Amino acid sequence: MGNVICGDSGISSRVKQWRGLPRVFFGLAALSMVLVLPGCATFSVSVSQMEKAAANRDLDGALKALDNLKLSGADEALHHLNKGTLLRLQGNYAESNRHFDEAKRLMEKFNAISVTEQFASFAVNDTMKAYEGLPSEQLMVYAFEALNYLQSGDVEGAAVEARQFDVKQRLIAEKNNANYLSGAFVRYLNSMVYESAGEKDEARIEMESAVAGYKAQDSFPVPKGLADDLKRRSAGKSAPSEAVFILHNGLGPTLSEVVVHVVNPQPDSGPAVFSLAVPKFARRSEPVARVVLSSEGFSATSEIVEDVNDIAERSLKDRLPIIIARGVARMVAKSVAVNEAKKKGGTLAGLFTNIVTTVSERADTRSWSMLPANILMARLPLTAGTHDLTATYYSASGSVLETHEFKDVVVKSGRKAFVTDYFINPPSRAQ
Amino acid sequence: MLKKRTWAMILLSVAALMLSGCSTEVKRVGVEQVKDLSGNWNDTDSRLVSEEMIRDSLSASWIDRHEKNSSKAPSVIIGSIRNLSHEHVNTRTFVADLERAFVNSGRVDVVASKDEREGIRQERADMDLNSSEESRKEMGKETGADYMLIGTINTIIDATEGEQIRFYQVDLTLVSIADNRKVWTGQKKLKKDVKEAKFR
Repeated sequence: MGNVICGDSGISSRVKQWRGLPRVFFGLAALSMVLVLPGCATFSVSVSQMEKAAANRDLDGALKALDNLKLSGADEALHHLNKGTLLRLQGNYAESNRHFDEAKRLMEKFNAISVTEQFASFAVNDTMKAYEGLPSEQLMVYAFEALNYLQSGDVEGAAVEARQFDVKQRLIAEKNNANYLSGAFVRYLNSMVYESAGEKDEARIEMESAVAGYKAQDSFPVPKGLADDLKRRSAGKSAPSEAVFILHNGLGPTLSEVVVHVVNPQPDSGPAVFSLAVPKFARRSEPVARVVLSSEGFSATSEIVEDVNDIAERSLKDRLPIIIARGVARMVAKSVAVNEAKKKGGTLAGLFTNIVTTVSERADTRSWSMLPANILMARLPLTAGTHDLTATYYSASGSVLETHEFKDVVVKSGRKAFVTDYFINPPSRAQ
Repeated sequence: MLKKRTWAMILLSVAALMLSGCSTEVKRVGVEQVKDLSGNWNDTDSRLVSEEMIRDSLSASWIDRHEKNSSKAPSVIIGSIRNLSHEHVNTRTFVADLERAFVNSGRVDVVASKDEREGIRQERADMDLNSSEESRKEMGKETGADYMLIGTINTIIDATEGEQIRFYQVDLTLVSIADNRKVWTGQKKLKKDVKEAKFR
């Protein structure tokens, strides 16, 4: 008869064999289908509504789309990371920090091993594990929180974030031997925080660490603004009054899924196809090539201070061997399950189990979606007082994408006034 | 029949157990009960700092010296307590404890802070227009402070994967507003060993 089932006698004999299987097997199989099928759309597809709304500068719509996703349980940290970012872009800094604090707490909590999750991720797929954030994402939270405090006028609060970051970055550097986790951008920002807080030595140390970090990352040149700061600080000169403009440029990378199908190496146990799903890096466009910040006849051009795309790509490259090793181990386990089902329940039971194990194989494509592709910074020295700023965004071809006005920006003597905006290619222009 | 009843009992018990976890549970505890949840700065740290600072400041010689020189109780204004720590610490709790201890001791006067004064001055200006002459309070009769309380809270964190040693140091100083002399300094040090769970 082989693997082909034909005629009534065949079916009835299979049904008898199925009856021999414990009911609990079918219960578990059905439960697996129920659990797995709703999650069939990868994470990056699910968040597209939120991203589209944000691209259209509809932040209320983006927040609503995020809430509709109902990210909870294993994905709860993602909810807070994205919500914190959206609220930050909306200028709701206190609420944004409340969500970032919660994200931090969850990421710390999920750092501990859960035996149940480990088992589930081994048996089903990697999305069964709670999302604890990539190390680079864990570092970026501190930058956004510090910026929120700075933009609320709370320099002391920003300095607390800077000190926390220092501890966290050292721990991450110890654990991951990766030069892209130097946290150079956050240290650059923290040097400004410390200088604003009057902690000049700490500011100089952060400037030196940031320069070293950028050099180690080797993605783009050390920002001239930072190099100038270090020279000035080393000469014992005070910080000038200036406007610091920060642009969240585009959207960070998304992870898509690549499925590798593997034919069962044991033909005796019947035709079975296994699939190994792995995440694939998908770079998204960096729409703004440069920002020109101007006020009262003076202007400054932006520099790139953080390349989120590059860090995410390198991070995935480092993680991929582990992801594949886990996937292979999972396939072996699933193969054993299919064979066992076949032995006890016959070809149909084997086929059913094979479908369940194949459908359940999904890559973990979760990421902090609202991170920008990169971050641009423009610094414009200004006299103390109230100023109107204009930020013009240019594409790589030199055309003006958008111009934004920022009215009544208060610059205090010897202090920095931080202004933030974002630009995401509207869906019609998205690549 | 018996079997059905047994099943029903089991189902009811399970449902009761599940439902019991649905309501928020609140248990009153004494304010002095030590309960560390995250290892972060908490009410116990604040209380330990205020106890130490109250004891030290009220027993130190600066009050006697002031009384000897001016024959009246010293007056203190609360300045800024800078948070130079790794945590978003609420310093107002132990400062308020110290303020209360000063006032209740009867030996130290505390004058209203800059923000508090604004409201009181507005009220006094309102009195000028609306209160009777006998109950009206005149402008220009505020008590100027003799000393300002300033301070810092610092931390040193030594961390490795899964464990942190957290050291807190709170320094408070009373500075003579007339001549910048430091007449009292109080200090409290706290140290915690925080171990993170490896499993959850």
